[in-house]
Order: sequence, then C-alpha cells, then structure tokens
Amino acid sequence: MTPRTTSTVAGRTRGATKIFGQRDAVVRALDDVSVEFRAGEFTAIMGPSGSGKSTLMHCIAGLDDLTSGTAEIDGIDLSGLKDKDLTELRRGKIGFIFQSFNLVPTLTAEENIRLPLLLGNEDGDEAWIQRVIDTVNLRNRLTHRPSELSGGQQQRVAIGRALASRPHIIFADEPTGNLDSTTGTEILKFMRRAVDELGQTIVMVTHDPVAASYADRIIFLADGKVAGEMVEPDPGKVLDRMKTLGD
Amino acid sequence: MFRIALKNILGHKARLVLTSLAVILGTAFLAGTSVFSATLDRTFDNLFQDVFKNIDGYVRSAEVVEGDFGLQERTRIPIEYVDKVRAVPGVADVSPDIQAFARIIAKDGKPLGSEGNGPPTFGSVAEEFKGALWTIVDGAFPKGANQVALDEASAQNGGYVVGDTVKVVAQAGSRDFTLVGIASYGDVRSPGGATFALFDADTAAEFLGKPGFIDAILVVGDGTRSDTELAGDIDAIFDPTARVETLTGAEITKETQDDIGQALSFFDLLLNTFSAIALGVGSFVIYNVFSISAAQRQRENALLRAIGASRKQISRSMLIESVVVGVVGSLAGLIGGVGISVGLTGLLEALGIDTPNSGLVVPSSTVVTTLVVGVLVTVASAFLPARRAGRVPPLAAMRATALETTGPGRVRTRSGLGLIGVGLAVVGAVIAGASNSWLGVGILGVFAGTIVLGPVLARPMALFLGRPAAAMRGVTGTMARQNAARNPKRTARTASPVLIGVALVTAVSALATSIKGQINELFTDQFKGDYAISTTILGFGGLSPSLADDINTIDGVSSATGIGTILVKIGDKGRNLTVISPSTFDANYDIGLVGIDAKTLDSNGILLSEKWSRNNDKPVGSTVTVTLADGTERTLTVRGLYTKDDAAVRGWRGVGSRVVSREMFAGANLQSFDFGIYVSVSEGADRAKVRAALQAVLDDQGQGKLLSKTEYIDEQAGEVNQLLGLIYGLLSLSVIIAVVGIIITLLLSVFERQREIGLLRAVGMTKSQVRTTVRWESVITSLLGAVTGIILGIGLGWTIVFALRDQGLTSFQLPAGATVLIMVMSFVVGVAAAVYPGWRATRVDVLDALVIT
Ligand SMILES: Nc1ncnc2c1ncn2[C@@H]1O[C@H](COP(=O)(O)OP(=O)(O)OP(=O)(O)O)[C@@H](O)[C@H]1O
Ligand SMILES: [Mg+2]
Repeated sequence: MTPRTTSTVAGRTRGATKIFGQRDAVVRALDDVSVEFRAGEFTAIMGPSGSGKSTLMHCIAGLDDLTSGTAEIDGIDLSGLKDKDLTELRRGKIGFIFQSFNLVPTLTAEENIRLPLLLGNEDGDEAWIQRVIDTVNLRNRLTHRPSELSGGQQQRVAIGRALASRPHIIFADEPTGNLDSTTGTEILKFMRRAVDELGQTIVMVTHDPVAASYADRIIFLADGKVAGEMVEPDPGKVLDRMKTLGD
Repeated sequence: MFRIALKNILGHKARLVLTSLAVILGTAFLAGTSVFSATLDRTFDNLFQDVFKNIDGYVRSAEVVEGDFGLQERTRIPIEYVDKVRAVPGVADVSPDIQAFARIIAKDGKPLGSEGNGPPTFGSVAEEFKGALWTIVDGAFPKGANQVALDEASAQNGGYVVGDTVKVVAQAGSRDFTLVGIASYGDVRSPGGATFALFDADTAAEFLGKPGFIDAILVVGDGTRSDTELAGDIDAIFDPTARVETLTGAEITKETQDDIGQALSFFDLLLNTFSAIALGVGSFVIYNVFSISAAQRQRENALLRAIGASRKQISRSMLIESVVVGVVGSLAGLIGGVGISVGLTGLLEALGIDTPNSGLVVPSSTVVTTLVVGVLVTVASAFLPARRAGRVPPLAAMRATALETTGPGRVRTRSGLGLIGVGLAVVGAVIAGASNSWLGVGILGVFAGTIVLGPVLARPMALFLGRPAAAMRGVTGTMARQNAARNPKRTARTASPVLIGVALVTAVSALATSIKGQINELFTDQFKGDYAISTTILGFGGLSPSLADDINTIDGVSSATGIGTILVKIGDKGRNLTVISPSTFDANYDIGLVGIDAKTLDSNGILLSEKWSRNNDKPVGSTVTVTLADGTERTLTVRGLYTKDDAAVRGWRGVGSRVVSREMFAGANLQSFDFGIYVSVSEGADRAKVRAALQAVLDDQGQGKLLSKTEYIDEQAGEVNQLLGLIYGLLSLSVIIAVVGIIITLLLSVFERQREIGLLRAVGMTKSQVRTTVRWESVITSLLGAVTGIILGIGLGWTIVFALRDQGLTSFQLPAGATVLIMVMSFVVGVAAAVYPGWRATRVDVLDALVIT
C-alpha cells in the first residue's frame, strides 16, 4: 500500500500522456498533463471537442491507464494497481456521474444511491446517507425505478450515489449535457451545495460556460495539453476564453 | 432487402454462431441416429448376405409360435430329414442347423457374454459342409459328444486354446467339452457380439434341444437348377402334414435381414422419439434466439422503417436470415450427426459388439431430411419474431431503450389457462372412465397451456425463486433476481426447454419408482423362501431346468422350486405360460391360490389369475387349448384361480396370468428354461453352510446368481434401473440443448446489458460480483424450469401410472429421491451454464460500454 499523504490534494496527474492507436494512426489524447484537484474544491475541465477532457478524467479515475506519467487519487499511485484494487478504489474513494445511463434499471432509486456501499457490503454512515437523500431531494422517490423517474431526477439519483459513500473525489462527465437548462441548473446547484455544505471534492467536465461558472476553478485543455486556468469564473469570461481556444 | 439480410448476418457473426448452434444441436441428433441406424442396418445386411452367400435352400418347419418383443419359437424337425433332402436331385450338400441357448463359461469361471440385455449366447452346429457358415481357423470341426468349437472372439475372451476343457451350460444342464476348433463366421470373429458354442449335429440336438431334432437344414445346390426349382423339388418330397417349408437362399437371407431390422426397429423408434424431443426442445431455443435478436435490433429496424422500408421488407429480411442460419446450422448438424454416429458405433464396440466394418453409411435421405427439417424448423421458429420485427413502429427508433419490456397480455393468460383447463378436464374425464387414448390430448393441453402461460408466470416465479439469492447475496443477488424477472417472455422461453426435459425425466422417474415399489411389495408378499437363484437372461435362455433338482439334493435345503416359462399359442396369439414344479411350489411361493393346493396341479391342468379367468371367460372347470412350439396341442382344464396377478410387472418376473406344471409338456420338443429358483432352508440347518453349498453348485455349473431374499427383491426392482438408465441417457440430450439455450440467452443478455455492466464496474463492482450476478440469474432461470417441470412431471407420471392400472400397476409413488436430485442438478446446471457468459460479462470494457451512445 502506498502511504497516504496528508496533502490537501484530492487527485493529481504528473506528466500524464495518453496515446491511442498504433503507428500511422496515433492520437496523442493527453500530452504531458500535470494537474491538481484540491480537496473541497469544485473544479471544471473545459476545452474543445477532442481536446482530451474525457480521457483525462478516465485516466485519473482509474477507468483507463496512462501511456506514461502518473495519476494519483488521495496519494495513491494508480499505475501500480491491479484490476481488483482499482475496482475497490473506485468503489470507496471515487464517485461518478455520467452524462446519461447512470443508473441500474433493475434497482430502485434508493438501491442505486446505496449501490457502491451495497457492492462493498458496507452499511456506510446512515445519517450521512439520509442527509444526502435530503440534499438531492429524493425522499419521496426512493422506491421508484429509473424508468419511472425524469431525466433530472435520474441525474439527482446519480449525484446521490456519487455522494453516498463519501468518496474522496467525484468525477462528472458532462452531467447536464442531456438536460434542459432549467433542470441542468438545478443539478449544478445540487453539486455546488455538495461542495459547500458537505465539503465534497468535485471534478466536472463540461462544454457549457454557464455550467463551468458554478465551479471554483476551471482548467482549460487544448490538443491534449493544459491551456490555462481560471479562478472564480463567470460565463462571459469563460466564453471569451473558450473562443481563443478555438472551439 | 436480401443485401441487408446478408449484411445483418455477416455483421453479427457472434449472433450467427449462437443461432446456428441451436440449429446444430437440434439436427445433429436427428442426423446422428439416422446415420447410425443406416450403418447398423447395412452392417447386418452385409453380414447375412455373406453368411448365406453359398446357401441355395433352407428347409424348416412351417409351424411357429410368435411371442412378444419379436420372440418366436419354431417347431423343430427330425434329423432324419437331412438324408431325405440330401437325396433330392440337384442337391450337392446339406447340413443340419440348430440355434439355441448355450452359455460358454470362461476359464476364470465367469460366463461369457453380457448378462441381460447384451447380444445372445448361442449353441449351434458346425460341420464339414460346402456352404459352411463357419470356417475353422484353428484345429478341426467338432465330432462326437465330447467336442466343441468356439467362435474366435469367445475363445479369445474366454482365454481358451485348442485342447482346453470348456464348460458350457445349456437346456440339458452344465457340461465339460474338449475344445477342438476355433471358427470364424463369414469374415467376422463373432457375429454381432453373440457367443457361439459349436457341436456336431447329434450332440447339438441332444445337448441344446431334444435328441434327434434340429431347427433347419441348409442346402447347397449343384447348379443344375434354379434355387426356386430346387426349393419346389425339396418341398415335394414331404407330405403336407409334415408342415415343412423350403426357402431359397435369397429368401432366408432377406428374412434374416428383416428379422434383424425388426429387432432393431424398437431401438430405432426409441432413438427417433428422443431425437424428435431433442428437435422440439431445440426449436424453442431457436425461437428464443430469434426473438431476442429481433428485440435487440428493434431500433435498427425502426430506423429502416422510418427511412421507408416496408413491414414486409423488414420481416422478409429476417426470414432470409433464418433460411441462411437454417442451412448453415443443418449442414453443421449433419456433420456433427456423423460424429455422433461414429461415437455410437464406438460405444457398441466398447460393449464388445464386433460388427463387420462396412464403413459409415450416410444415406441421401438423411442428408435431405436433416436439411429440410433443420431449415423448416428454423424458418418456422423465426416466423413470429420476424413478423413482430416488421410491426415495429418507426417511432421506436427515437426511444432511448427499446427492449422486450412489454408485459404478457391478457389474451395470453386466458388462452394459457384455457388450454390447461381443457387439458385437465380431459384427464378428469379419463379418470372418470373415458378411454385412455384421450390422455395424450389432456397431457398435451396441460403442457401447451403451461408453456403459453410461461411469460405470465415467469416474473412472479423468478422473483419468488430469487428471494434466497437476494437474501444471501445482497445487491448482486437482488440484481440477478431482477434480471431474471425483467424480460418475462425471454426467461420463460429460456426455461421452457428445461421444463420439458425435467418434466419427462420426472415422469419417467415417477413411473419407475411406482413400478419398483410395486415389485418390492409383490415379491415381499409372494416369495416365502430364504434364497433365490436368479439369472438376468430374459427371453432367450435362462437356467437349466435340471438345476433345481441339483439344488434339492443339497443337505440343509428343505425345498427348492424352479419357475420358468414357455411360449405357446392360445388361439392365434403367442402367450407365455409360467411353468412350476407343483410338489415344491407352495413351500416357497405364494400366489394367493383360492381353495386349492399347487401340489394338486396335474399335467392336464392350468391355474389362472382371477382377472384373466374373468376377462377370458374361463371359470374353474372350463378348458383352455394351447398349441406347443412343437406343433402339438394340449387341452388343459382350469383347476383353480389365484389372486396375485401381477401382469404389469411381468417383465420383471412375476408369475403372470397362467400357470402350468412342468409335467404338462414333458417329452415335448421345445425349449424351456427357468428364470428363478426359490430355496427354503431346513429348520435348524446352518445357513452359512447351506449358502456355501448352494454357491458351490452354481460355481460348478457356471450358471445362476445366489441371492438372499432381500437381495433378490432389491435386484428385481433394480432391473427397472437399467431401462431407466437408457431413457435418462437419451433425455440428457434434451437437457444439454436446454443448457445451451440458457448459455445463448445469457450471452445475448450480457451483450445487451454491456452499458449496465460497464456502469456497475465503474462504480465499483468487482469481476467476481459480475460473475455472481450472471450465475444467479442463470440458476434462477434453470430452477424456474425445473420447478415447473417437476410439477408437470409428477402430474404426467401420475397420469401414466393411472393409465396402466389395468396392467396391474396400482399404486403411484412420488419419486422423492429423483426430485431432489433434479433440483440439485438444475442448480448445478444453472451454475455451469453461467460460466462462459459470466466470463464474457467480466470482459466488458468499462470505457467502451460507457462511451456507446
Ligand atoms: N478509445 C480511443 N481510441 C482512439 N482514439 C481515442 C479513443 N478515445 C479517445 N480518442 C481520441 O482521443 C482524443 C481525445 O478524446 P476525448 O474523448 O478525451 O475528448 P473530449 O475532450 O472528451 O471530447 P468531447 O468534448 O467531444 O467529449 C480524441 O481525438 C479522440 O478521438
Ligand atoms: Mg468527452
């Protein structure tokens, strides 16, 4: 086991490089990316399509491995881990919110929220879970199955699931991409609350300047490289910045 | 559209393989059994073609008694006829022929040939003769009362070389001979695995049958006239009252071939029945695969519809696909079938049945039948799914998920319940007295109704059966349970083949358990002695009638009685009479004689079961005329009746409906063997010593198996197990197909749920948890089929037992052991079927799964 460091960095990459394909069809999806995600912070990752946002997220979340460089979660270097340890890490330390198809259709909303705990055969912190349920405002939908929930409700369940196990860090890949703007705003507010009230660390990939403006900090990617950073963003500034990246 | 269909097939190779697999399994057994029968038929045809190659005529009695199961006994002819035939102009050479029961005892004291259902063990004649069936490969032809020759295989298996002393058991008892020759038959070492002890004609007649009589005369002509003319000339020298007939060489060849064909036809029927069952079960799997793949393609089809394809075009494209799959699968099934038949032939060889190798026969009819049946079944199975595919609304393309989620309709519930209701009503009517032949209709109704109702039942049953899994396995169990219940139609279709297989196995077990229970009761009730000497030889041969006399001379045996059987004609029907020795019978056996002692049964009397007496209107004092196998008639007076009729279990050596004394046919020219000898030990005798003495006699004679009363009863009941084993073996094929059906469905489901699995893996499900989920879904599906199958099977078994009540099967017994075993097995099957799909599920790439849009 890698010893746990007491840094305030929830996750980071150092010189992360990811190359897809072979010989003539090589794509350098990540090119020497070194980033840090601080604990208790809401970070957004932005960049043009194909700039490597999703790839970065997958690699740091232990869903994919880097070609070179390192990725760390809570001080643990992911490159040395076997599938079983990675799975356990994802279950215990990481939460996920995807753009769509976030839930297991055969399980109820509550079961979906508790899923990581159930998979780990853990009871979790019941008071916390109740608080999460209230935070995402799903108390009266707990026994419903995903097919009986609206898109926004489904995403709220996904947030609830991401929060339930008190993960070290939550990754969200375009969580509002499939929602109308009102529902999207609602979801973003929930995420913001999770950071502010529950002290959660969240990393969100998004295209939407408005969405990004809910974050504390934005990291810009272009062509697989870090192209800058913005603290305390607002939609106007973000939009200007995006234009210079050539989206 | 044809192009789209082809693209579809080639674009989904895995699906093609899975669908074809179902077709292959269904057709392989069909092709395999048909190739096997054809090969076997040809083999025997060739054998007898060879054997009778040099024979121009065959003289025998025209008098014959035919019994059940193709058994027959032909009247013997006097040996003097041989010289009469030899003198007929145009006859070059003749030889007497006898084929009777004889058992060769190997050097180690064990009888040769398999006990019971193996090929027969013969005693026969081998003499110097122009048309000789037997060629001596070592030594010489046997001559005189002390000489024997053996077929090559028997000599080898018995460990004998020329010059050795060989013990042979036949009707006349057990006797030692000197081995003077080793012979081959045609060009095989032993025909069809039978064993042959060969003697000169006089010795054979005396030892195997009756001195001075033979079965037939083989004739070789001198070529001056045709076989037909020669046969006519031979017939002409006999008085019509002698009842002699002469067959030409071609006729006897054909008749023997046909007889073998007849003997094999039961076997063929059995194989055909089971290949039909296998095909039926297979068609369920095919139907299921097409339904699932149609559902999985719903969006694709909807898109095609949206851009202008017609319903017909969509359906046709799927039907074209099914034709291709049918052709490919049937062809592969044909090849697999040839493999199966090679396996079956290998099995025969392993059982010691030496067949002349005429090579594999693949009749063109098999090729045509397999292809036609395979394609028809496939296309028929694809018909409904194809129509459904055509009906998909173009709008379905816009929906996010378009799976088979529609619940079962009310029409289905009604028609399912209706069919079951009608079926049960018909069964009820039969119980109330309608003809048994209606039972089939009733059973079919209940089965069809259950299968129609399947999708309605599947969800609640899967949820119920999945409860322990959910309780034990937490969230993985819960998901497995929900997965099994989420597509009730699919689950029902997957479980149906299991249901059919299990129902049949359960019914057969119920029948067997009931028969065994009854046999047990019967013998406990009837057998009064201490020991039994049994033989597993049934039908052809048995224990020498002299053995009981030898046993009676043993010190400490108070009495021993032999029970045997003879074949006679009553009216024109062949019937078996049970043969007893009246003086010793009562002491050892109780058949519930009413007011009469078996001792008083004389040679002109017969005892009848009350039922037979009633059904045939033969009260005490009336007469029954029987024709013996030697053509003579006896008129027997009914001396008494008995209550313990056990005709249903007659196959397992009960006493049957008609009993005569051994004296009745004393001196007649026919075969009679005992199937059991029952022994009582004298009061105060040392049982261990008596048992040892009995064993010593049996060892010395090389026949019979000594059993205590309880051992004997167990053994009688155990014989049912042999038949059971065969049926289980054949049914296991359907079970294999059912298992493959589960595997295919699981694979398709795993494929369909890739995203879900990817998501689960992303949020922390381990590979072993993925496997657990698939495993429990499989177990729940398999148990679903098994539980329903067991319920139906018990009902079916009860119905069959009920239908046999007139045959004397009176009590139904639950096959408790078999039921438990089936449940355990279906659990194991569920686990085993999930291995590969479970592994596939763990191979789902998390990122790929999440990225699919
Ligand atoms: N499995 C893969 N095989 C080959 N190339 C890939 C693979 N996954 C991603 N890429 C390539 O890597 C680059 C970065 O992809 P990535 O999905 O990270 O982009 P993104 O920033 O998330 O884009 P978007 O905003 O469109 O989601 C792209 O050029 C993409 O084509
Ligand atoms: Mg992306």
